Order: sequence, then structure tokens, then C-alpha cells
Amino acid sequence: MAKQGRILGIGPTDNTSDQRTPRQRLRLIPDVARESFVPVVPARYAANPHEWDMTRTAPDRPRAAGVPIEVTGRMRTASGRAVAGALLEVWSANHFGRYRHIEDHSGLQLDENHLGLGRVLTDDTGRYRFWAISPGAYLARPDIGRWRPKHIHMSISGGSSRLITQMYFPGEPNNETDPMAILMGDAFERNLGIPRDAGDADVEEAYDFDIVVGGRNATFFE
Amino acid sequence: MTDPASNLLPATNEDTCGPYFPIYFADPALEDLTRLDPGVVAKASGTPIILRGRVLDRHGVLANGIVMEFWQANAKGVYRTPATEGDEDIDPWFYGYGRMRSGSGVYEFPTIMPGAAEARAANITVTIFSDGINRVVTQVFFDTEDGNENDPVLQAAGDDAPKLIARHDGRTASGAEVYVFDIIMAGDNETPFFDDLES
Repeated sequence: MAKQGRILGIGPTDNTSDQRTPRQRLRLIPDVARESFVPVVPARYAANPHEWDMTRTAPDRPRAAGVPIEVTGRMRTASGRAVAGALLEVWSANHFGRYRHIEDHSGLQLDENHLGLGRVLTDDTGRYRFWAISPGAYLARPDIGRWRPKHIHMSISGGSSRLITQMYFPGEPNNETDPMAILMGDAFERNLGIPRDAGDADVEEAYDFDIVVGGRNATFFE
Repeated sequence: MTDPASNLLPATNEDTCGPYFPIYFADPALEDLTRLDPGVVAKASGTPIILRGRVLDRHGVLANGIVMEFWQANAKGVYRTPATEGDEDIDPWFYGYGRMRSGSGVYEFPTIMPGAAEARAANITVTIFSDGINRVVTQVFFDTEDGNENDPVLQAAGDDAPKLIARHDGRTASGAEVYVFDIIMAGDNETPFFDDLES
């Protein structure tokens, strides 16, 4: 069968997904144009040095409420090559499930010690590390009682496609009803952080989350 | 989707951006590519343009809270990548990567008219992130520029190619030529989007 572009799935019980998901099959990109689809994000948009620790709003401030966690992982292309110098932008809700975003009207509790925003770069071997507060789940659809499970948003610039993804937590009861997790099916496992021992790190839990940036023409960043 | 015979690592699943992409990550330098930074004497070479339009959902309603990324060649048609490092046609004051968040779904992107890269017509890659969807990506072309009829991406869009061509508005704003390009994310008159994972 000739190769075809994907048809994107529509997240069940997700109204925005129904309104915004393209219905047509995605078109294949001719080889000569493939590279031009992937932005190269200039290195000058780097992280500030303190942003790897999202358990505080600043180095001189106390810890936010909740469970501090460490997240580490390797970033690779689908062919296994380390993605070095990639920009990882991270955002997550606080312990109570609230984002410090002007459009979060949930009314859930804010935390004066939690910003929930951070940026890190991968090192020469493609590894990254940040600290965060384990985010709260929140009721996304009060009308049907659907919760968004605990998750941490990550945007990755580097490798052979742009990637925005979310890391979920294993064993969470709301994972099974999440619209995007349902679309992922068995592949949802790839988006779970894997608990590990925190070692000497000043956190209560630690997770490994390896990231594979998809796309078959890994031209840039190599 | 994944070929079981492949040696490739299975990719991390894309997921929605959600509604709360941090405004904190906004950067004025990425919202106007005609200059390096506001207040710095460093102008990009080329013809200033403004690409503006609306991003609409299946019902013709503005798609609020979207993040748009742009990627383009400089006025001489050269992309700034590791592969073109040292190229004499690199413009020191132009990177070619832009990003903005639109609260309303209306956008306006000041930049310079990209030059045509080899075997291509002038274009800007546009990526959209939002709540409810994974990333979608396409390329926008210009009705005043040469070579659209031979461009491989427009040819791949077939009968839908006109939906990827921005219209010269015939007026200027702040000395820049204005181009109008509406994006319809879903439904009737849907904008063609491309697959950079399977391609």
C-alpha cells in the first residue's frame, strides 16, 4: 500500500478537539520540502539558570505546597541519536490543579510559592533534568464529571519535528478517561513517567521520562 | 502507524498544548522578525511584510488561545540552520523562527518576504498548537511571488493549493506590505495540513 499521511483522531468528550481537529487526511510532504517544515530554534532563546527548579518561584523563595519531584530523561530521535542542546519548555498545574495562567478560571487554589513554568536544555548526550511539584488533577468537564489526570506539559524544540507532549503518572485513576490518552491507546504507556529512586536529590519522588522525537528525516541538530 | 518491522524507536506521542501555554514564554523578539530585538539597531534585510489573518474552527468561530510558530528562509532564500552556517548569504540579523500566542485567534506577524529556496516558491511554514489538537503544520505562499505553479508542496495540495496562498491586501501598514491568510482548522474549506512524521 502506498504511504499515506495520517488522519488525526478526535478526542472523545473533548469539544475543542471536535471543533479544531482537521478532518482531511494529512498530506505527505515531498522529499525536497521535508526539511523546510521543521524550525530551527535559535540557541539564544535559552533557559534562565534557575528555571530547572520549578518547586520554587525563585532560588530565595520557599518550596511550593505538594510533593516535589525530579524528572529526568534522554531525548533521542527515532533513529536513536541523542538530541543535544534541545530546548525543553515545561509547564504544569500546582498541587491543587491550578495553573498560574490568566485564562484559568477554575477558581482552584493558587500557591504563592508556585509558578509552574520552567525551561531547560538537553546536554551533549541528550539528557535533561528538572524539578517540579507533582501536579494536581482537576475537573475539566464538570458537566460530565471528567477529570484531567495529573500531567506535565513539555514542548520540545530539537530533532526532526516539533513536539508538544504531556508526561502522565502511572496508576492514576483518571488516565483511562482522558480523551488524548484514549486516542493514544496502548501507546499511552510511552507517555508515562517511570518511577525510580530519588537517590540523594532533595525531592520526594523521581521519574524517568525518555523522549523520542518523531519524524524520519533527522536532518537538523545532527 | 508504527511499522513492526522497523528499527526506529517509537516516538513519544504528541499531545494537546492545552489552553494554558505559558504567556511567560512569550518573547517580543520572536513576534516581529523585521528586527533582532525591539530597540536594538539591527534590521533584517528584505521587504517588510505583515502576514495577518484569522484562525477559525469547524464552525467558523475564532480559535482562541492558540500558539503559532513560523519558520522561513531569509530574503535570499537561505534557511538559518546548522547546515548553512558560514554561508555568505546568511543575514546576521535574521533567524527565521517566530512564535506568538493569540488569545483571540486573530494573528498578525511582521516579518520580511522570504526568498525562494532552491526548487521552491517563497513560503513560510506555519505550525499551530492549541487545546484539543496535536500540532498541525502547513506552509503559506504569496500571490505576488513567482514559482507557485511549480512548487512541490503546492502541487501536493492539488486542488486545494489556492487555500495555501496568502492574498496581497493592496495596502501597507507601518511601511510593510500586508498579506491576508486565514486558516480553517477543520470542516468546509479546511486548510490543507501536512504530515512530517509519516513523510
